Amino acid sequence: MVLERDILPYFQWLLGSEDSVGALLQFVLVMLGFGLLALIVGYLVAAARHGLLRGGDVVFQTVTSAFRDLFQISPRRVWALSVLAVKEAWRRRVVVVLLVFFVILLFAGWFLKTDAQNPGRLYISFVLTATTYLVLGIALLLSAFSLPGDFKAKTIYTVVTKPVRAGEIILGRIIGFTIIGTAMLVVMAVCSYIFVDRSLDHTHRVEETGLKRTAASDDEYGYLGRTSLDAYHRHDVELNADQQGEALSNHSHTHSIEYDGSTHRVSGAEGVMQARVPQWGKLRYLDRQGVEQARGINVGNEWSYRGFIAGNTQSAAIWTFGNVDESNDPDGEGLPIGLTVRVFRTHKGIIGKRIPGGIQIRNPETGVQSQLELFDALDDKVYEYTIPRKLTSTGDAEIDLFEDLVSSKGQVEISVHCLAGGQYFGFAQADCYLRLPDASPVLNFAKVYLSIWVQMVIVTSIGVAISALVSGPVAMLFTVSFILLGFFKDTFVDIAHGPEYGGGPVESLYRLVTQMNMMSKIESGVVAAIIQAIDSVLEAFMWSVAQVLPDFSAFSTVAFAASGFDVPGDKVLQDLTTCLAYVVGLAVLGYFLLRTREVAR
Amino acid sequence: MSEEIVIQTRALSKVYRDFWGRQKVRALKALDLEVHRGEVFGLLGPNGSGKTTTIKLILGLLFPTEGEALVFGKSATDVGKNERLGYLPEESYLYRFLNAEETLDFYARLFDMSPDVRKERVDALIKQVGLDKARKRPLQEYSKGMSRRIGLAQALINDPDLILLDEPTSGLDPIGTREMKDMILRLKDEGKTVVMCSHLLADVQDVCDRIAILHQGELKELDRVDKLLTVADVTQIRARGLSKECQNEIRDVISRHSGELMEMDNPTTTLEELFLSIVRDSEARPGRRAKVGASETVADEG
Repeated sequence: MVLERDILPYFQWLLGSEDSVGALLQFVLVMLGFGLLALIVGYLVAAARHGLLRGGDVVFQTVTSAFRDLFQISPRRVWALSVLAVKEAWRRRVVVVLLVFFVILLFAGWFLKTDAQNPGRLYISFVLTATTYLVLGIALLLSAFSLPGDFKAKTIYTVVTKPVRAGEIILGRIIGFTIIGTAMLVVMAVCSYIFVDRSLDHTHRVEETGLKRTAASDDEYGYLGRTSLDAYHRHDVELNADQQGEALSNHSHTHSIEYDGSTHRVSGAEGVMQARVPQWGKLRYLDRQGVEQARGINVGNEWSYRGFIAGNTQSAAIWTFGNVDESNDPDGEGLPIGLTVRVFRTHKGIIGKRIPGGIQIRNPETGVQSQLELFDALDDKVYEYTIPRKLTSTGDAEIDLFEDLVSSKGQVEISVHCLAGGQYFGFAQADCYLRLPDASPVLNFAKVYLSIWVQMVIVTSIGVAISALVSGPVAMLFTVSFILLGFFKDTFVDIAHGPEYGGGPVESLYRLVTQMNMMSKIESGVVAAIIQAIDSVLEAFMWSVAQVLPDFSAFSTVAFAASGFDVPGDKVLQDLTTCLAYVVGLAVLGYFLLRTREVAR
Repeated sequence: MSEEIVIQTRALSKVYRDFWGRQKVRALKALDLEVHRGEVFGLLGPNGSGKTTTIKLILGLLFPTEGEALVFGKSATDVGKNERLGYLPEESYLYRFLNAEETLDFYARLFDMSPDVRKERVDALIKQVGLDKARKRPLQEYSKGMSRRIGLAQALINDPDLILLDEPTSGLDPIGTREMKDMILRLKDEGKTVVMCSHLLADVQDVCDRIAILHQGELKELDRVDKLLTVADVTQIRARGLSKECQNEIRDVISRHSGELMEMDNPTTTLEELFLSIVRDSEARPGRRAKVGASETVADEG
């Protein structure tokens, strides 16, 4: 799973730390900045219409009455307007979206393959992505066309001539559409879960004739075999002396096997949907000479998410984990870890042959480290491995994992090496984790739906706020632009404030028109100076807009569930808080847009 | 502003502009107006004279270009004034997917009424406007007259002190028109202030105490209806049971005093009165039909 940004603890994210500004302070600064800008623009417009003094008075009255209105918001009125929005959405046949969703699910089984290594990932990401697009689409349509519809039908006349505050109209719409969206999401979530569960459920037979008895001693023996080929795969089987056991993991699931004296009963697929709880550490790299580096080797990818280590050199990827103690080993079997390896081959070798690697555990305080534990890596496969309690040190001494390899501060280092010359292993920080007890997959599924809900609420809020000023189609276009820019926020920020090639918007246009490539330098002169001056203003504007763009790609937690990871509680809380901030900010914006426009024409 | 003055406009002006800010039309020019508590005030004028603009400015649906409008001493843009105000728009701009009960309940909630008060008020108003049998029908199934009635009910949901009626009788049949006028007079009797705008002169004349006549956005006349309609140099005598001789004697008296007899005739009733009496009679005696041709025969015989 790709995790490009660290998920900070909630309060650190909210309040900040020594080297980062907290989200709360950022929110306050953005609100103050935009508030100040709105005051200046508002005053200029009012002064142009009413004169310098009267204009100031109008702005003052508007601001003071806004504070009065804030304290006069009536929950009963807001609720009445919310219920009206729900009824309106129902009247506009919003339920058709559910029918579309059911049709998609009905036919999805035809096209989704179950022969992939991890069919669960495909199914889960499919249903969650379909849900996201459908729900965001309907939120967009409902929110962008609702208020303009009221203006067009003039039904707003009978509302604003009651003691209704503009903020109540905006909040009522947001809450109403959120209610209807939530109801649809709940139905979709239940159907999606049943769809994934039922689609991937299957069983096998144990091939009785192939069962072989194996014995460590006369008293300790068991059976090895395999299952029948069903759903494009089969499993190796391990049974104990009573012929009870399990079909080992393949296609990211297992089956338990019971023996009733005559036949083996194989259960349905277990672990198709997982919610692994990772504890992430900090990653650093050693280069070929064993010198510490912040980044790994770049093997030519533009995307610099992963750094690579060279095989058969001193190169290594080292993770440092904190807060490690015996609570990480509730079963007394050792320290479970997960490791995803990306393999980059500089020569093919034998196709499909695994690349050997090694894992070492080290105490960062004493320098004691375990001997290299070997493993064979396939590209993009998750290795789950339990580091045993009893290990052998590089000095051949028997050592205890928690007593000898965990520092007094609870830190432990895990280093991974590639052992094949000319081959590379690639890692990102999130690729190695200590595995804590699994969370509930159902709850995890609900958390992913919560992240879709957050996106839906933000889209609804944008649509409602903007539609307070402009017509439905314009509001929709604006909201779509906002969503698209939100999905590509990083690119937008790069153009505005980053290492962009080809200059800003005007310079890019100039290069397009003159067919000049992106890397050539524009000859300095008056034209270049004008272009760069306009670009600097536009870039400042883009940077300001980027500060309020919702990062929709970061809100999505589909990858967590699809990859079988639990969505961290800190992320859920951060997303909910961000959502609240957007609702507040957009409700304020919508309030002023509605207050400052004429309801009648 | 005195408590007796419910609405006051001072040099109220409105200019409609296009997208680029260019003046399209000057809809209202420096209107000075005062509406007193308890009166029925009419805004008269032909189409495009500024009546509806004035109402919208008073309601805060439009912002004045110059001047100001005060309602209960508050600025027209102050939402607080709406607590004591009811508004019936020209058309019934209501949510057509709601039924009568839901509509009134929704508007009652906007006045923050408690559930008990809401229920009581909704029931009373539905009965008052005669929609008891259609209370569960969605408004999209309502006739024009029914829509106006539910519109009036929503305007009265808060038992307002000031009711603004924009073309209240528009689209109503004579019975509906009479009921609307009776309702306006009843509201006046209850001490409410009613402001209505209309271009149907007879309606205004029947119910208004004072009127303002607007033309091309300017106030042309403002006074009591009876005063405006009184023709000072004409004397009207209405009497019953005068003989021909007596009528001739009156003619002589007028002539002796150098007066000019303009008309002495049997008066006619209004078409509205005739229509209403026929409908009432029909309701009292169903099945009775007019004798076609009877009137021509009588005329021929005469």
